[in-house]
Amino acid sequence: MKSCKQIKSLIDEAEKPDLFSFEVNNHIAACNDCRSFATERAALRGLIASGARVTAPANFDAVLQARLAEVKARRSFSWLSPAGFARMGAATAGLVVAFLVIQFSGLLSTTEQPQSSNPVAKQSPAKPESGLQANPIPIPIPEKSIPPVRPAPQVMQHAIAAVPASRGAGASMRGRDVARQPVPVDYPGMETAGVVLVRGQNGEREVPLPTVSVGAQPLLYVSTSRPATRNAGSTF
Amino acid sequence: MATFTHQAQAIEFGASRSAESANDHELLAAIRDGDEAAFQEIVRRYRNPITNFIYRMIDDYERSVELAQETFIRVYTSASRYQANYSFSTYIYRIASNLAISELRKRKRRKFVSLFSPFTNDDGEAVELDPPDMNPLQDETMIEDERRRAVARAITSLPEKYRAAIVLRDVEGLSYDRIAEVLKLSEGTVKSRINRARNLLKEKLSAYI
Repeated sequence: MKSCKQIKSLIDEAEKPDLFSFEVNNHIAACNDCRSFATERAALRGLIASGARVTAPANFDAVLQARLAEVKARRSFSWLSPAGFARMGAATAGLVVAFLVIQFSGLLSTTEQPQSSNPVAKQSPAKPESGLQANPIPIPIPEKSIPPVRPAPQVMQHAIAAVPASRGAGASMRGRDVARQPVPVDYPGMETAGVVLVRGQNGEREVPLPTVSVGAQPLLYVSTSRPATRNAGSTF
Repeated sequence: MATFTHQAQAIEFGASRSAESANDHELLAAIRDGDEAAFQEIVRRYRNPITNFIYRMIDDYERSVELAQETFIRVYTSASRYQANYSFSTYIYRIASNLAISELRKRKRRKFVSLFSPFTNDDGEAVELDPPDMNPLQDETMIEDERRRAVARAITSLPEKYRAAIVLRDVEGLSYDRIAEVLKLSEGTVKSRINRARNLLKEKLSAYI
């Protein structure tokens, strides 16, 4: 035998307000309180259900289709949205950073560095003479020979060896000294051999190619046809 | 529960079966495959119940139509993610219920101080004072209209957690287990909320019972 509280709970949970189980029907036949509760609940449920039931307007489908087309268009051009721009910006920044990292790590460098035959790369910068103390151009200077960009022919090595020993390591060469060097007249590849003279504040220096000179210094190329130097422009 | 495999149930509605005869799961599978007719059929089946449900929740017809359309847009855009663990009506009512509750919360944030000074119920939630109108009514039409307005006001004055449950039960006629699925609650909680909502409505609508 269930209590009134349990019966009221069953009345409340009934699928339909007037459709009760046999047990509930028996109970409310004998219990006035539960019967009035059932009547009241049925009236309340009927009242709630009788409220105005609205329907969708006639243009519901048309408006829905228009909104749906808008949503589809927005989704197909979502990359134009601020979020899309942000994603594109992040991707571009990532590419730039990756490119810079690769470039600085030397992976993209096409210049062949002759590691084994280039003494400049191995040696620390030679101690300059007193006259070079104030030279602002940090140019590494070979001790005995000019590091060749490509294997220098015999005649060129001869010409380089003619530099006085006192000026061999880090020595500067005055323009007039250069003019006095025994430059082979018929040597055709001298200019392309990669030997340039850079005239600085304290005179000229021999710089192997490829070399980037910093500063607006004139580039002087050794001419093979005449025993003189000529100004080939500045480094800028 | 068996996961719905839409490949197996995708239907060429133009060929063998019409959209009208397909069940909701089959229609959803067809929507996933880009069938516009299937979507139209889903809209035709549910536009009125969903509009009415949202209207009874927020008591604003224009806004309820917009939210009903938003419900169908969400059904369409998330059709590829739909899994038939529940019936489709549970799924769509859940979307509509979430939209309606979000709307109510937005309105709650926007609402200024009411002329009816807010009272708190047993749960500590603000409830507006809505005394029953005891004045005599003159015309039958007016009586009916007033009764409907009173019911709508009484429902909208309920706390939102009671409101969704009572509307789904007594207006839309969903069973307790379906309501529990829609609201993601236990069946016992749903029964409790419906009981409390009816007790609150009984007080507000005592003049009409």
